[in-house]
Amino acid sequence: MVKLNVLNLEKSEYKGGKSSLCPGCGHDQISNIIIQAAWENGIKPEGIAKMSGIGCSSKTPAYFLAKSHGFNTVHGRMPSVTTGANMVNKDLSFIAVSGDGDTASIGIGQFIHAIRRNLDMVYIIENNGVYGLTKGQYSATVEKGSKKKKGTANEQAPIDLCAMAVNLGCTFVARSFSGSKKQLTALLRAAMSHRGMAIIDVISPCVTFANNDESYRSYNYVKTNDEVLHIVDYIPHFSPLSEVEVPEGEFSDISLFDGSTLRLETVSDDHDPRDAVAALRAIHEATQEGRHVTGLLYYNPDQPTATDTLGLSDTPLMGLSEAELRPSAESLKEVNAGFRAR
Amino acid sequence: MDKIINDFTINVATANGTGSQSANLIILHSLFEMGVPVSGKNLFPSNISGLPTWFIIRASDRGYQAPGDETNIQIMMNKDTWEKDLASLDSGTIIIYNEDAKLPVDRDDCTCLGMPMTSMARGISPKMARLMANMYYVGGIAHLLGIEEDAISSAVEQQFRGKENAISMNLQAISEARSYASENWGDVCKFAAVSRDKSSDTFLIEGNEAVALGCIYGGINMLSWYPITPSSSVAESIINWIPKLREDGDGGSTCAVVQAEDELAAAGMVLGAGWAGGRGMTCTSGPGISLMSEFIGLFYFAEVPGVIWDINRTGPSTGLPTRTQQGDLSMCYEASHGDTQHIVLIPGTVDECFEFGWRAFDYAERFQTLVFGFGDLDLGMNRWSTSGFEYPSQDMDRGKVIRTQEEMDSIPNFGRYRDVDGDGIAHRTLPGSGLAPILYRGTGHDEDGIYSEDPQVYYEAMQRLKRKIDGSRDILPAPVIREEDEGEVGIIFYGSMENSIVEIDDLLEERGMSVSTCRVRALPYHSEVEQFIERHDRVVVMEINRDGQLYGILRKELPTHLIPKLFSVAYSDGLPPKAREYANRVIEVLEG
Repeated sequence: MVKLNVLNLEKSEYKGGKSSLCPGCGHDQISNIIIQAAWENGIKPEGIAKMSGIGCSSKTPAYFLAKSHGFNTVHGRMPSVTTGANMVNKDLSFIAVSGDGDTASIGIGQFIHAIRRNLDMVYIIENNGVYGLTKGQYSATVEKGSKKKKGTANEQAPIDLCAMAVNLGCTFVARSFSGSKKQLTALLRAAMSHRGMAIIDVISPCVTFANNDESYRSYNYVKTNDEVLHIVDYIPHFSPLSEVEVPEGEFSDISLFDGSTLRLETVSDDHDPRDAVAALRAIHEATQEGRHVTGLLYYNPDQPTATDTLGLSDTPLMGLSEAELRPSAESLKEVNAGFRAR
Repeated sequence: MDKIINDFTINVATANGTGSQSANLIILHSLFEMGVPVSGKNLFPSNISGLPTWFIIRASDRGYQAPGDETNIQIMMNKDTWEKDLASLDSGTIIIYNEDAKLPVDRDDCTCLGMPMTSMARGISPKMARLMANMYYVGGIAHLLGIEEDAISSAVEQQFRGKENAISMNLQAISEARSYASENWGDVCKFAAVSRDKSSDTFLIEGNEAVALGCIYGGINMLSWYPITPSSSVAESIINWIPKLREDGDGGSTCAVVQAEDELAAAGMVLGAGWAGGRGMTCTSGPGISLMSEFIGLFYFAEVPGVIWDINRTGPSTGLPTRTQQGDLSMCYEASHGDTQHIVLIPGTVDECFEFGWRAFDYAERFQTLVFGFGDLDLGMNRWSTSGFEYPSQDMDRGKVIRTQEEMDSIPNFGRYRDVDGDGIAHRTLPGSGLAPILYRGTGHDEDGIYSEDPQVYYEAMQRLKRKIDGSRDILPAPVIREEDEGEVGIIFYGSMENSIVEIDDLLEERGMSVSTCRVRALPYHSEVEQFIERHDRVVVMEINRDGQLYGILRKELPTHLIPKLFSVAYSDGLPPKAREYANRVIEVLEG
């Protein structure tokens, strides 16, 4: 029997076109997880807007959610286009895909300001440390000492996008790995249930240019150096908590905007995702040890979003009629009279 | 003494941040109150306080609004420019100066009238003396020209609306100065201001505020902006009007405002808003357009509606940030890499600033493209007369947007970029509608919006875009033509040059030239522009820039046989166009 989600839709309703990325690319795994997460969460495909910039990662919106509108914009400028669309239609669910070149270099300004505004969107960074489409130059997130397949090791310090996001007060900050299907699916589902800016920095190995063992972002390296903060389970709002198996060890629950829950099972040290300092410590300690810390790093719910602070009409602005948008002829007479009386 | 009535130019030399703007506007508004046709130009520095500023007031019964070619009355308040200001004056100029500056006024060939303005102001308020001193030259001018007391009172009340203390102190200063001038200067002025019937309808307003109101009545949904002189007052004015005119029944705003991190982001937000079905706009100046150029190409190629108002300042680079120019025309028309072409609306009056303010959104949505509003500092930040804005004469044009499945079903062989109607304009659907979703892209795409590198697909897509924008020519505002029968000399001009054209025309007629004029109001240019050139022997394209940008566009697009008729008069020094400057150049180019 074909499995259906809460909207009675088959998973195929969430699929996209055929990928043109290199076989084995981490990005394709992430695309599949986006399909899985959107389907499992029962989001209407037509209510989603897929956003991206330029690069290998930014091509992927063609490969998932064919029933959603999308915009593959220009390099590093996806956040501003998303902002404009959000302003006139706050009811859209924005799922954005960017890369490390797109976000950490050319688009770092827009990334920062989208966080500062708490733009209501899911922002996935498919982070492989190289520019793939231009054939393998280092990007700004690659670790010092990391070496791609050809050329010399990288000598410059990396930009850690999660640490930056935490510092900026981003309301949902997570890191994961394209090879960790369960963790990434749970985190992505939680991000979709969040209201405000949700960033997931996903380490996604570039199989063509940097999957050698000397690369800190190769499959082998990440698998053996993945420091998991907690085991994550997503419990959707339409599935009562009582039906969910309670883990044996310690755990804590995080309530998400739409009523869903993210359950964090303690692995070794207890990480409190409400604690920004703890999040930064976890990131910096892992970096010092050459490891990648994954999980929900930081969560700061109930913050006003970019549109909340503007006192906008309840109806999305693009849906307003001419009568609602154009002030009356009478009002213009008053405006003119007001100037004459000045 | 026989007086010269309502035909004079006053130049006020001050430093910015000294409160002189209030004094200057009081002179301007009091003349306006009397019905004297008057215009004012603020030549200000890129600075908050302390650098030289000049304010030019031109009164002219003939309606001339260009700054006068010569100064008739010079007011000297600024020690830093004292010597230079003094040296630049023609013989016979009336000079009003602040004696407290304690600087020499050694011009025996002029009428020099001193007043201890700062000391007198100290008598009213020691603390405010520096600011109040300006009101003394207002009083001096009022005496010399015979500006009516009622007009002065009304202008002062308007300037300091609601601040009773300020009104009475300033009126007292002006009155003291008037008495001083009467006793010490006497009747030495050959110029006079005489009341005219003033239409009770007229008022003065800055072009930028008119643009802002036009946008408000055009149903703007999202304003994104990054502060830049001289465009900021467009945004600030929209922000000011939203609570008054654009709230729904529950007090919710129907226009979002985002102060962006830079101009790139501002343009991106307009693109996002237009893509999602809203009316987005940003305002900027030349440096902003340079930054926005990447997105401008995406608007064009992905066919997304949006509006950018460019309030030109003097370029290139940072240039002269507080001076005027028509230096961005060719950039706006063809901004971004590859072959592009954008609709440019060019208002020449504050009424057109309002009208093009709302029309820009209609054209953008109709043609699914970016539309520029093209203003400049002179029109945008100086005050011009209007008899009131006219309500939009047409319902909003939301363009070919498919909103229902029935509409979709009625279109045979739908594709986002398929020209089913033969006008180059395809139908679009909006995100959230679930109708024919596609991934919009700036990469090559076929008629269904699917990625394509096929040579024929690319070629045909670009030909259709050309056809689409070309089809806007005769729908966009037609030129304003003032034609003589002789068909001898034609002048093509645009934008704020409107304020100087009548005087230029009169100067040329004095030389025996029969001149017709044609004010271009949009690009791509209307077919009537081409017909105007056909009908005239020689046509001068006159503009406020160095290279003759409209001239270049015409030469590129006109039929070859018309090109030898064209002459270029292009001049720019950062200042608003003086009539004689351009008239002389027209004569030179035609007779030289």
